[in-house]
Amino acid sequence: MSEELLINNSEKVEVELSAGEQRQIRLLSPRNLHLTIHQKQGSDLLLHAVSLADEDAHISINVFQEEPDCTTALYGLAFTRGKQVVNIETHVFHNVGHGKSSQLFKNVLADDSRVSFYGELKVLPDAQKTEAFQTNRNLLLSRSAKVETRPQLEIYADDVKCSHGATTGQLDANALFYMQQRGIPKEQAQRLLLQAFLEEVVQTIPDEKFQADVRRQINERL
Amino acid sequence: MLDINNLHATVGGKEILKGLNLHIGEGEIHALMGRNGAGKSTLSAVLTGNPAYTVTEGTVRFNGKDLLGMSPDERANEGLFLSFQYPVEIPGVSMVNFLKAALNAKRKYQGLEPLSASDFLKLKREKEKLLEITSGMQNRSVNEGFSGGEKKKNEVFQMAMLQPCLAILDETDSGLDVDALRIVAEGFNKIRTDKMSAIIITHYERMLDYIHPDYVHVLYNGRIVTTGDASLAKEIDDRGFDWIEEKYND
Ligand SMILES: Nc1ncnc2c1ncn2[C@@H]1O[C@H](COP(=O)(O)OP(=O)(O)O)[C@@H](O)[C@H]1O
Ligand SMILES: [Mg+2]
Repeated sequence: MSEELLINNSEKVEVELSAGEQRQIRLLSPRNLHLTIHQKQGSDLLLHAVSLADEDAHISINVFQEEPDCTTALYGLAFTRGKQVVNIETHVFHNVGHGKSSQLFKNVLADDSRVSFYGELKVLPDAQKTEAFQTNRNLLLSRSAKVETRPQLEIYADDVKCSHGATTGQLDANALFYMQQRGIPKEQAQRLLLQAFLEEVVQTIPDEKFQADVRRQINERL
Repeated sequence: MLDINNLHATVGGKEILKGLNLHIGEGEIHALMGRNGAGKSTLSAVLTGNPAYTVTEGTVRFNGKDLLGMSPDERANEGLFLSFQYPVEIPGVSMVNFLKAALNAKRKYQGLEPLSASDFLKLKREKEKLLEITSGMQNRSVNEGFSGGEKKKNEVFQMAMLQPCLAILDETDSGLDVDALRIVAEGFNKIRTDKMSAIIITHYERMLDYIHPDYVHVLYNGRIVTTGDASLAKEIDDRGFDWIEEKYND
């Protein structure tokens, strides 16, 4: 059975997942959070970090796979606007072998807002058979929005599968035109594309109430 | 219905259309032929208002209105439809949501209420049957992972849903095997009303075996250089474009 923990605006939080434990953690628009998670053998973490408020935020997520066979899945989405500044850091440490980690962080930036994503992924010498992936995708809605993405992979074991990818772009002009050619006004077409972009993260939220809440908050910002 | 007068257009700083004239009356089928790169897709892009293309001179009237002054969605809602040569994949937007948005945008433009869920489903099923489309396709994201043939079929299916008064089919036949071509072309014929007009852009004559054109035009050097009936398409199929281009080289 999975347990849930909703952390709002606490500054420093430490969590331990005991052997075999499955846990979901939801972060809804924390302002300043330094979250540290220790994973024991075979534990399974599913974390969603959602930033849909208008304040500046600094979110640091630190995961230590301290025993073998752990699984870590981190998902994040942010939709910033105005002069907002949101910093997101993830630090995932594979200290021992046979662990899996995946990260998908998607951000939409409007107006003059700024987002930085710093993703540290460390695979230590003992962590053979690790599989670790990290993806960061950003969508800029205005010329004055700025994103800084800094993936940092440090891999000291040789028998591992690791990858990372980061992209930053604008809404697909061809898709926009295609929709307009079908009669859909530009603003509505833009909304549909933005929802689609974030939906990749939203659809991974298991809790239906939380999922509906996130969708509603996204729509309020469109 | 459509009056194109002295149309000049550029893309990427290069002039592609150089004074094109074309008149299309209600219910007429016009085939537009021409070599690769002649500017056929440029004409469809300009007519539908693709922002990557710039009109530098000329006028286009559509049902009496100034077409070039309208936004792409207004043009669509006035009844202009393009079956894209390269349909666009839109990951994360389901076909169903896309179709609903398109249909209801048109209804809103016409001052009508949105379609009820059951009426929408009924219409969708009816048109799927017409084009022999399995409904599984409609549960996926727009064009995502569709084969070349599925994409073209999906274009004509959208046309069936939206019932335009002028449809441009930009190489809807290319990439289709014989069976798919028959289904798409016969589907088009079933969708057609006496009032609907069409521009069929094609390299080949085989599409025109199903959809009989009233006129066949050849685009060369940014203009329509010659116009004939269906026999012109046959002749081009046999002899290529060289003999036409030689005549009109400046
Ligand atoms: N986006 C673009 N940027 C620059 N040149 C383009 C672009 N699109 C088309 N062209 C050029 O315009 C010309 C006409 O292209 P197109 O209208 O696609 O021809 P057709 O459909 O008749 O094969 C070609 O020379 C092509 O290379
Ligand atoms: Mg073309």
